[in-house]
Amino acid sequence: MLRRSIDTVARTGASAAHHAGGLFLLAVAIVRVTLSGQVRARHVFAQTYEIGVRSLPLVALTAVLSGVVTSQQGGYQFTGSVPLYILGSVVASSIVLELGPVMTAFVVIGRVGARITAELGTMKVSEQIDALDSLGRDPVAFLAAPRLIAGMVSVPALVAIANLVGLFAGLVAARATIGLGGEAFLYGARLFWHRWDLLYSLIKGVAFGVLIPLLSLHMGFLTQGGAEGVGRQTTQAVVFMIIAVLSVDAIFPPLFLN
Amino acid sequence: MPEPLIRFDDVYKAFDLPVLAGVTLDVYEGETVSILGPSGTGKSVLLKTSIGLIAPDRGDVTVEGRSVHAGRQALAEIRSRVGYVFQYAALFDSMTIRENVALGIRDEAARQLGRDEVQVRIEAALESVNLDPAAVLSKLPAELSGGMRKRVGLARAVVGRPHILLYDEPVTGLDPVNTAAVSHLIGKVRSAYGVTSVVVTHDVAQALEISDRVALLDRGQLRFVGTPAEFLASADPLVQAFADRDAARSFAQKEVEVA
Repeated sequence: MLRRSIDTVARTGASAAHHAGGLFLLAVAIVRVTLSGQVRARHVFAQTYEIGVRSLPLVALTAVLSGVVTSQQGGYQFTGSVPLYILGSVVASSIVLELGPVMTAFVVIGRVGARITAELGTMKVSEQIDALDSLGRDPVAFLAAPRLIAGMVSVPALVAIANLVGLFAGLVAARATIGLGGEAFLYGARLFWHRWDLLYSLIKGVAFGVLIPLLSLHMGFLTQGGAEGVGRQTTQAVVFMIIAVLSVDAIFPPLFLN
Repeated sequence: MPEPLIRFDDVYKAFDLPVLAGVTLDVYEGETVSILGPSGTGKSVLLKTSIGLIAPDRGDVTVEGRSVHAGRQALAEIRSRVGYVFQYAALFDSMTIRENVALGIRDEAARQLGRDEVQVRIEAALESVNLDPAAVLSKLPAELSGGMRKRVGLARAVVGRPHILLYDEPVTGLDPVNTAAVSHLIGKVRSAYGVTSVVVTHDVAQALEISDRVALLDRGQLRFVGTPAEFLASADPLVQAFADRDAARSFAQKEVEVA
């Protein structure tokens, strides 16, 4: 029993070290090909359109729902206990510091991260990545770097839009549910507002924008074993990305808010 | 004895189990060598070691006298002189046939040639594999049949005018008509471009038809290397068992006809 537990811990540790090493090497390779000018601008634009523009409707919808739910919950709890304009502060802080970046990250994981792993996984098992190598094209420059650069640029922009949309939806919901006027809501929102909060939110966006493509690319490149392997790897990648986003989210406050 | 163009020197490779157990084979300029063997005996792995897609655990592979493992630059130079035809063509789904074939011309070469000359080469490559450029150039791979995709894969391999062509199971999954067409194309490409070819296949008839020499890989080791005639005359029971009687008969028939 003890031996089996030790084996499991050792295997998990070895697997974690293997993935950490792979992620580091991939990140270094992406930096190398980017700095050496091997990445084509049109590939980056295409990926920015795919990751950024095409994710926008779903990100906006998620932000609307996050703003509405936060506003409704806060209104329910504050009515009769604290001044209602405090709701503006709660909604603003929740959206900008937490829900905007994290909900956007979840949308990007589902829409983009899973797709990247499945796409690269399929390319791996159908020898398209070998073909790129044989044709003198570096798969890191051709496939990985454009996706990572696009993620790094697109996700903070999506976070900024999600923040705006979420706040506006919260304001409308507060007026509709507890009759809190727009001015009172904005007064509350400004009351505990720090300029740093927006930057904090965007830095989270950049971190997620790097983390999600990097993990999905890494998992895609490791795919083996045909269609079943692609499915298995994609599921595993989504799990890793969710855990990674929540872990990074958890270490942000002690790093940046104290 | 001339220097070999490709030398597999005591190549070992294991994944969980040993796949290649000390393979030594020389391929000389201008010849076509087929590597035969049952599925799972490491034929494709051996081919991939020759352009560094798989690194051997032991031994070395040299192409035109340069080791595949002599660094990034050496490998890039070797790859620029080799065309590789993948088992299932490995075309890029999101790219048109034109874009797929254009990938076969290296960036530097494309810049030197200019846009018009690149287009001329792409069309010539497609014509050399019996495809009508006007009909296929703007199509996506999914819009073509399996046989046509294989031919596009071959066009992509030859468009860069390589000195060496490597074929990984070029007729797998094809019907007899397309198999014959692809075999014919391999011969046609050889005479048109004067390339040295290594063909990995489990199709004995095809190997005997297109090759100057045939090698039989068995459990990670070369069991036989010789001409098609020597292959058919071999007393080795494994070679005899492997040499499909119909293929042998077909080859013998052609030899008689030629004589």
